[in-house]
Amino acid sequence: MNLDLDGLKQQFAKELSTVSSLVELEAVERHFFSRSSGQLTSVMKDIGKLPPADKKSAGQKLNVLRQEMERALSDKRRAFSNKEMAERLEQESIDVTRQALPPKLHGHLHPLTQLEWQIEDFFRSMGFMVLDGPELESEYYNFEVLNIPATHPARDMQDTFFIKDLPGAVMRTHTSPVQVRALEEYGAPIRAIVPGRCFRNEATDTRHEHTFYHIEGLAVGRGISFSHLKGVLEATAKFLYGEDTEVRLRPKYYPFVEPGVNGEVTCFLCRGDGCKVCKKTGWLEIFGAGLMHPNVLKAGGVDPDEHQGFAFGIGLERLAMLKYGIEDIRHFESGDLRFLEQF
Amino acid sequence: MKISYQWLGEHIKTESLPSPQAVAKQLTFKTVEVESVTVPGELLEHIVVGKIVSIEKHPNADKLKVCKVEIGKGKLEKGSLQIVCGGTNIREGMKVALGKIGAKVRWHGQGDLVELKATEIRGVKSFGMICAADEIGLGEMFAKKEEKEIIDLSKWKLGIGAPLVQALGLNDIIFDIDNKSLSNRPDLFGHYGIAREISAIFNVPLRPYNPPAIKKGKDLKLSVKVTDKRLCPRYMAVALGGITVGASPLWLQNRLRAAGLRPINNIVDITNYVMYEIGQPLHAFDALRLTPSSPPPTRGRMGGGFSIVVRRAKTGEKFVTLDGKERVLSKDMLMITDGEKNLAVAGVIGGAESGVNQSTTSIIFEAANFDALSVRKTAATLGLRTDSSTRFEKSLDPTQTEAALRRAVEMTLMLCPRARVISNIADASYYHLDRGPIVISEDFVSERVGALIPKKTIIKRLRSLGFRVKEKGKKIAVTVPTWRATKDISIAEDLVEEIVRLHGYERISARFPIFSITPPPRNSLHRLERRMKELLAYEFGYTETYNYSFESPEWLARLDEKTETHLELNNPIAKDRPLVREHMIPNLLMNVEANLHRFDRVALFEIGRVFWGKEMGEFADNKKKERLPKQPTLLGLVYAAKGEAQPYFQAAEAMKGVFDRLGVGVTFHKIASSRGACPAPQINPDTKLENKNQKQLWCGIHPHRFAEMRINDKPIGLIGELHPELQERVGIPYRVAMVEVNLNDVVSLLTERARYQPVPKYPDVTRDVAFFIDRDIQHATIAEKIQRADPLIASAELFDVFDGKNLPAGKKSMAYHIVYRSPDRTLTAEEVNLAHGRVVARLEKEFGADIRK
Repeated sequence: MNLDLDGLKQQFAKELSTVSSLVELEAVERHFFSRSSGQLTSVMKDIGKLPPADKKSAGQKLNVLRQEMERALSDKRRAFSNKEMAERLEQESIDVTRQALPPKLHGHLHPLTQLEWQIEDFFRSMGFMVLDGPELESEYYNFEVLNIPATHPARDMQDTFFIKDLPGAVMRTHTSPVQVRALEEYGAPIRAIVPGRCFRNEATDTRHEHTFYHIEGLAVGRGISFSHLKGVLEATAKFLYGEDTEVRLRPKYYPFVEPGVNGEVTCFLCRGDGCKVCKKTGWLEIFGAGLMHPNVLKAGGVDPDEHQGFAFGIGLERLAMLKYGIEDIRHFESGDLRFLEQF
Repeated sequence: MKISYQWLGEHIKTESLPSPQAVAKQLTFKTVEVESVTVPGELLEHIVVGKIVSIEKHPNADKLKVCKVEIGKGKLEKGSLQIVCGGTNIREGMKVALGKIGAKVRWHGQGDLVELKATEIRGVKSFGMICAADEIGLGEMFAKKEEKEIIDLSKWKLGIGAPLVQALGLNDIIFDIDNKSLSNRPDLFGHYGIAREISAIFNVPLRPYNPPAIKKGKDLKLSVKVTDKRLCPRYMAVALGGITVGASPLWLQNRLRAAGLRPINNIVDITNYVMYEIGQPLHAFDALRLTPSSPPPTRGRMGGGFSIVVRRAKTGEKFVTLDGKERVLSKDMLMITDGEKNLAVAGVIGGAESGVNQSTTSIIFEAANFDALSVRKTAATLGLRTDSSTRFEKSLDPTQTEAALRRAVEMTLMLCPRARVISNIADASYYHLDRGPIVISEDFVSERVGALIPKKTIIKRLRSLGFRVKEKGKKIAVTVPTWRATKDISIAEDLVEEIVRLHGYERISARFPIFSITPPPRNSLHRLERRMKELLAYEFGYTETYNYSFESPEWLARLDEKTETHLELNNPIAKDRPLVREHMIPNLLMNVEANLHRFDRVALFEIGRVFWGKEMGEFADNKKKERLPKQPTLLGLVYAAKGEAQPYFQAAEAMKGVFDRLGVGVTFHKIASSRGACPAPQINPDTKLENKNQKQLWCGIHPHRFAEMRINDKPIGLIGELHPELQERVGIPYRVAMVEVNLNDVVSLLTERARYQPVPKYPDVTRDVAFFIDRDIQHATIAEKIQRADPLIASAELFDVFDGKNLPAGKKSMAYHIVYRSPDRTLTAEEVNLAHGRVVARLEKEFGADIRK
């Protein structure tokens, strides 16, 4: 009996080549592999009829052929399913540039809050505590204890809001009253910062606000010196504007410090070359600072012969305006979402 | 304050005076900020003194002339120029300011600077311009009498061809000094004080300030009587006769102009000059206007006696000051009088009547020292801050009156050749100066500075500023100069500043202080604020805003908010917002209204202090008796959105979420009367608030969408919707939810969550129940009843509410998922059926619920 394995092979190859869909492929598979009527199945049945001597080699040949055919079928099947999947995926294509609808609504923190927290965390990392104090303050804490007696011309420097029918009360003009409140409560040594709202009775314009934010800082301990003040101011400047930022100090009179200085830092924009932001000077004024006046320490119950201290203040609006390029200080208290949603 | 570089050259030899740039820089870093350096003569380049040699008619224009202007015979300039000019005052032989080609002028004193070029005017060539004052920035120096007048320089001896800037002595450099920050330095309110600083900074010699002693006269007996010695520690006066009042010489006028002053006449100019030189205000009285205390021996001649009486004014007394205004005086004001009538308000301003004028022939100079506070208060009450009061209120050196008087007399004798001193020098002196000595040491200074400052440096720096220094072993005894002793320098720390600023702040190296690592005490309120802000913004989608602490009564009135208890500013800057806020909500509602013009949804919050005037807050001083008004920290929150009919639930959800994150549960309790209409937009008077910390209720609340929030049954705040009538009244298009929480109350209730429920081992069985029920019965009550119906109930979750149309009257439909579970077994269907039956029975019995099958 002659087994036409080559013919089978050729016929299979021919039929497979005309297949154009998964359904047709299945028809070809049935044609050759069907248990009842498959071409291959019938050849296998024929082998059984061969003499035992020929059986083995014919069986081996057929097995090889079967494996080839199966592989060809599965390759073809994979090709079809890949194509189908590719078509499906293509249909599922989306516009990756559009947002989810309806858009998710996000909240925003006020820029001054964000800045305050950054500075707060920086000082916390150096072991400073965060304090606050009354915004409606007594003249005693706002002026007297800060070495600004009623006779002092500095009381004119502070355009103060007074309260009707409440003599001796003012809207605090700075966060410095908390220097003395803190010393009274915690004594020395102490490191603290005081972020908070202050008020000055001045007309508002793009650069002036009657309500504004300060961060006050103080450190009181044995042997605190001007050099320490400089160290902390420099660290703060580098934290705010980068490692290559320098600080320069010049004398400035504040009644509650002695000596008193103004601190300028290298302009973060031009790095000292002079630009619009720093008004061509290369420097930005951001600190008021000094060694705490002995009278202030005394007012807080601290002996100035034993403990000394430094104090400094930073205006938050100015930092924020410089950082973001905000052109009008009045935006901060405007409640305008067009402003607030940018931060 | 303007400081003239040339004037500084009077006190420091010109050759040792450092460059203007160096002066400006070093003053800024060692003394006071120099805000600007200007060269006023800059504009006058290419402008020279010219002489009109001939004037001819312009052939083609009636109003123009053709002039030949000589610009010199010398080496610098030669020949003359043809200039077409329309000046109405030109004449042959006149000296004029000639702008040559290249000069920059401002046509008719207006617009931008224009550079002159050779030109042709109506057919006649012109090689420059004869300038009018305002065309070259000299409008102040040469006041015009006529519109088309040009500068006439003929009255001065000026060299033809000389650059105008030099001819007029305008080649000065002006420093503008930030004297607002000099309130502690009375000595720096004059050129000599600034020169002293320069001398110390640059180590260059300062000329002594020592005008010649006054040779007293005998015609007149001058006496001074001070009734309030505290307010007038010193009063000096001297009289001069033979005065001719007239214009000051050019150099003096230029000095005053450089300092920003307007020259008036020689006598007034002298007083101003001395004031701007050493900071001592002077006053000149016309002696003939004073009532003599004893008559002159010869009528019409000076003689006899004058008695100056310095005393307080009588309240209500009227006085006409130099500026012609009538002022009402009070008994707190110190007056200079002649014993009968007022002559001047001490230290502030002179009187109109006794002032110097063109016909004055004899004067009395006053050089006095007045109490700083008294002058400041008087100036403030009169609303008159003068150059004089500005200086007196800094506490002037009482010894400088003498030098000032000598200088004024010296200058008068120089400027008025016939003048002579005709009286004794009156001097009433009661001052006391504490000049120390203050004892310091190298160790003390170095410790404060944090760097070694050698004794030698300390002594050198202090001496350069005029301090007297004596060494006693390690100690250094420092005597304060009179000009720094009034208030400025009184303790050792003050000296440290003097030393270190001159030494140079840049020379002190930066170091960190050493501190114990003791952890700082926690600020729980601050932590809570921060956590809440983060959660509200970053988790719940609310945007943080800052509002002013001040409110508008008009806005509050529109919100029916009462203002009787509000604190009020005495001197509000924004006149429409004088009230100090008691609540966060009103300003936030203003934000809602404004933003809803542009946004469909506004979700805002603010955390800040409010001010409750009738309640006690922190201590006002260390005597611990007086208290400030209470100033709690509140969270205010508002929410409104297009299409949101019940924003209450969104706000409540955010609050639930925030407190859940903080580890505590917040509950909502209806506290307004729930039955019956409450048409007026105000709270039912029966309502009782348990929270004493809630100052008062908002008035404009929706009475049936309103709850008190509690933690552990303690009230912490309020939540509700704005009354619809008010909402419409203030122009807000949608319903608004509002929340106010007192964070001081919350802080004490916060505990960290430390509980955990084991994950169930056996499966849940969920059954739903839906029913109609009376509208007034609240979810919280129903949920609680369901929960308690059977121990197998693990939770009861509301998943649907409907109270719209098509329902039985007064009813709403509700539906709950009820979860049944046992901790120790898998429940059987029978068990669950039994429990669910109890729930249904209870709902029917307790609430008359109509179960939907």
